[in-house]
Amino acid sequence: MTAATATFVEMTRARRWRAFDRQLLVYLLLLIGFGVVMGYSANYQAIAGQSGLSQTVKSLIWIAVGLILFSVAASIDYHWLQTFATPIYLVVLGLLLATGLIGTNLFGAQMSISVIGLDFQFSEISKVLMIVVLATFLASRGERVGRLSTIAGAALLIVVPTFLVYRQPDLGTALVFVAILFGMLFMSGAGIGWLALLSGAAVALAPFAVGALQEYQRQRLFCFLNPATDPQGACYQLVQALNAVGSGGLLGQGLTAGRQNQLGFLPVQSTDFIFTVVAEELGFVGGAVLLALFGLLIWRVLRIGWGARDPLGSAVAAGLASMLLFQIAVNIGMVTGIMPVTGIPLPFITYGGSSTISLLFGMGILQSVRMHAWKPTF
Amino acid sequence: MADLDAKATPLPSRARFVAASVAAVLVFGVLGGRLFQLQVVDGARYAARAEAARTVEVPIRAPRGLLFDREGRPLAVNTPSWTLYARPADLPTIESTRSAVLARAAQLSGVPVSVLRQRLAAFSGSPFDLLPLGHDISRDAALLIGEEQEQLPGITVGAEATRQYLDETGAPNGELLSHLVGYTGPVSRGELADLTALGYLRDDSIGRDGVESSFEAALRGTYGSELLERDAAGRPVKVLQRLSDPVPGKNLMLTVDARMQRIATETLEWGLKAAGVAQGVTIIMNPQTGEILAMVSLPTYDNNKFAAGISTTDFAAYLADPTKPLRNHAIADIYPPGSTFKLVTGLAALEEGVTTVSQRWPTYACYQIPDAPKGQCLFDWNHRGFGPLSIVDAYAKSSDTFFYQMAVGLGVDRLGSWAQELGFGERSGIRLPGEAAGTVISKAWAQSQGRPDVFTGELAQAGIGQNAIAVTPLQLLDAYAAVANGGHLMRPMIVRGETDANGNLIQSYAPEVIRDLPASAEDLRIMRIGTREVITTGHAGNIRDLRLPAALSGKTGTAEFGTPSAQGVLPFHSWFVAYLPSKPGATDATLAIITFTYSAVVRGNLSLEVVKYFLQQYFGLSQDLRRESQVTAN
Repeated sequence: MTAATATFVEMTRARRWRAFDRQLLVYLLLLIGFGVVMGYSANYQAIAGQSGLSQTVKSLIWIAVGLILFSVAASIDYHWLQTFATPIYLVVLGLLLATGLIGTNLFGAQMSISVIGLDFQFSEISKVLMIVVLATFLASRGERVGRLSTIAGAALLIVVPTFLVYRQPDLGTALVFVAILFGMLFMSGAGIGWLALLSGAAVALAPFAVGALQEYQRQRLFCFLNPATDPQGACYQLVQALNAVGSGGLLGQGLTAGRQNQLGFLPVQSTDFIFTVVAEELGFVGGAVLLALFGLLIWRVLRIGWGARDPLGSAVAAGLASMLLFQIAVNIGMVTGIMPVTGIPLPFITYGGSSTISLLFGMGILQSVRMHAWKPTF
Repeated sequence: MADLDAKATPLPSRARFVAASVAAVLVFGVLGGRLFQLQVVDGARYAARAEAARTVEVPIRAPRGLLFDREGRPLAVNTPSWTLYARPADLPTIESTRSAVLARAAQLSGVPVSVLRQRLAAFSGSPFDLLPLGHDISRDAALLIGEEQEQLPGITVGAEATRQYLDETGAPNGELLSHLVGYTGPVSRGELADLTALGYLRDDSIGRDGVESSFEAALRGTYGSELLERDAAGRPVKVLQRLSDPVPGKNLMLTVDARMQRIATETLEWGLKAAGVAQGVTIIMNPQTGEILAMVSLPTYDNNKFAAGISTTDFAAYLADPTKPLRNHAIADIYPPGSTFKLVTGLAALEEGVTTVSQRWPTYACYQIPDAPKGQCLFDWNHRGFGPLSIVDAYAKSSDTFFYQMAVGLGVDRLGSWAQELGFGERSGIRLPGEAAGTVISKAWAQSQGRPDVFTGELAQAGIGQNAIAVTPLQLLDAYAAVANGGHLMRPMIVRGETDANGNLIQSYAPEVIRDLPASAEDLRIMRIGTREVITTGHAGNIRDLRLPAALSGKTGTAEFGTPSAQGVLPFHSWFVAYLPSKPGATDATLAIITFTYSAVVRGNLSLEVVKYFLQQYFGLSQDLRRESQVTAN
């Protein structure tokens, strides 16, 4: 390597890091911080004598691991991922199968397996990995992206993992897969007519899908239409969540002071119902700030997507944006009673090591897309 | 030089990204709007709903009122008792730890570990409920378990007030007064439907017998309530607000003198034992006020067993006993009054002009029933007759044939109506549960037997308290008390008034007159003279020799019942009713007594001997005139 080329490489690297999206990082850190604070409050049970600190320390460890993965992913050229798309896909299938076979039982669902004592939910990381797989496929379509075969191929790729998570049973993640597929196809330029037709077919088939659900899933699903149908049973969580959200008022009851939260009326408050704690303790103002942070984050993701150098980069961004938007809409929609209860985590806020790591890894890839949008010319 | 923002090729999807951004803006708009609606617009409504779900109104029990005797001796008190509880949700889930906790709890409480496990296994309620594992554990055990609370997760002790019944010495011995005081017991599931509206709780107790039952409302007081905040598991977290203060139950003073009750019990027990019988009654009353000073019904029962939660075997034994220890025979059962009823027939005959005080009537060995075939006659008790007698002598000698004539002369309507005037055939209204009304002869009674009218023989027999007359011992005593006090039928009283916590009377209840008898003072005096003559010249035996500070007046009675024995002899009950005026015929008696013994078939009058013994004991006489040979069972 000559001195000239060495200087050129250094120069390129420096320019790339100058392209690093600092806004994205700031929003990420703010959201992570928000999540840590809310997780602490949700686990802080003065009455039960729990400080919630041990949980917080655990989540800080996960975040540290996640930030390392973020940096690694950011510094690697995302085009490498194309090379590994096939192995990644096989790994996803293998992990989901493994989870189905040896997963531990959490709320009656096989959703995680334990590695050296830490529970890891593969369905979380599989979402990001499937974004990479789909992006690689869509980028490979080139000029043929508008054809029906693009939609068919992408659907074929995602149908097996979707089925596997659905069988765990994890209806929420299965729906996220579908949302990712749709969003990526749409933003990658799939034929709008075909997409519309497909969406129509999906809506038409929805009643059959509902019929195939487990009884408990169906009951929870319909609570949001009228929570009063079974306030002590299937709709208990939703009724209590609405009470908590409403109790927050404009300014909230204060951190660790939410009565519904502290008295245990939100049985899974540190997981999917975490937004109720935000709403109860920080009020409408706190909820609006969180929504604004999410909005800004998605804005950055979409912005990087359309500024991407190639279809691969924009497809990755499209997948991440779809995933985030869908999860936020369904999760907050669920606890505010305008969406059915499905069990989808709120990105960065819901406590969970696998979710945090997966999201930060995905965001790292996005930074890589951003940093490689500039292509040195020879 | 390349431009950072320059793209190699313009991507066709840029418009799609713009569309996606618009979709995102819409999503966030909807979420934000929904949040605004829930929190700012409808926030107050949801907050109220959340609070209602979190808070619960919890009753505060009021201490039950105490019971005292007329001298201020405590008869019913509340003592703390300790119960061992488990909250299944808080018990260790690891089997070895759980076993250790249960073993230690068993060791400390004295409840066998097998019982603990059995009760836990049988429990089907919420795991957050407190499950009683053992009642009445010792105070020391309760304190020890309290100290080891940290090492015994899920195990706790609770203190409750348990009723304890005392005798005249203050010892926990409820048998002395169980029929009067009664007992409290748990509210049954069936009753709860009606009682919930009155503020009774699922694990509440209620008065079951005696004053505990009849004065339930006063003794119970009024429960208060407070608003508690609780967690999702239902465990109380803090008191938000006191809604109403509990009002303690009223402390009541009974009219009974526990020491007199003891003497009455012991003297009756002596008589029953001597005659080899089990059932008997002694009642003592103040004729001026109707206050019951003692009321003994033997056999009795132990109300402390009920207060502590009676075992099934104990309860079954009480129920199976043919002498019915759970019944207060003084008010709940009716018997033929026999010759004691001649007071009624005599008074009615004077009032209705059937006879004058000086008119002499023949008496017979056997009285020919007027409209019956010749030869159908009713014997006098001595089977000889007494010759011609005036009413006072006839009453003193208890001539049956004299009073057959009086009854026939009166007719069924007039005899029945005078019996009713004196309180027979209706409940006296004493504030004790289970009182019987009794039977008085009447045309209606005959018609209920399927006949147009009573037979003359029945009417004659009713005149001597047989056949169509049945009374409670209390009714009979009250009738004699009415004659003794100058003609006022008093409502028998069992509660004298309300007291402070130390048994000092702070409000007394007024005596109540049921009715003034429509009889002349002179006729009443004649009957009082008659009762005095029973003692002095009649056949009441040596009781006249008691050196009493009063002119003892009274009447014996022997009432046949049931079916004749192989020798053609009917079994009989014996009665003796008496009162103590200052001089013959006076209306100032403050003590009247009746003793009834059930089926005491002995030569003498067992009840008379019991009353004699009572008077000796009560007045501390050095005499002992009991005639044991007369009352000893053959």
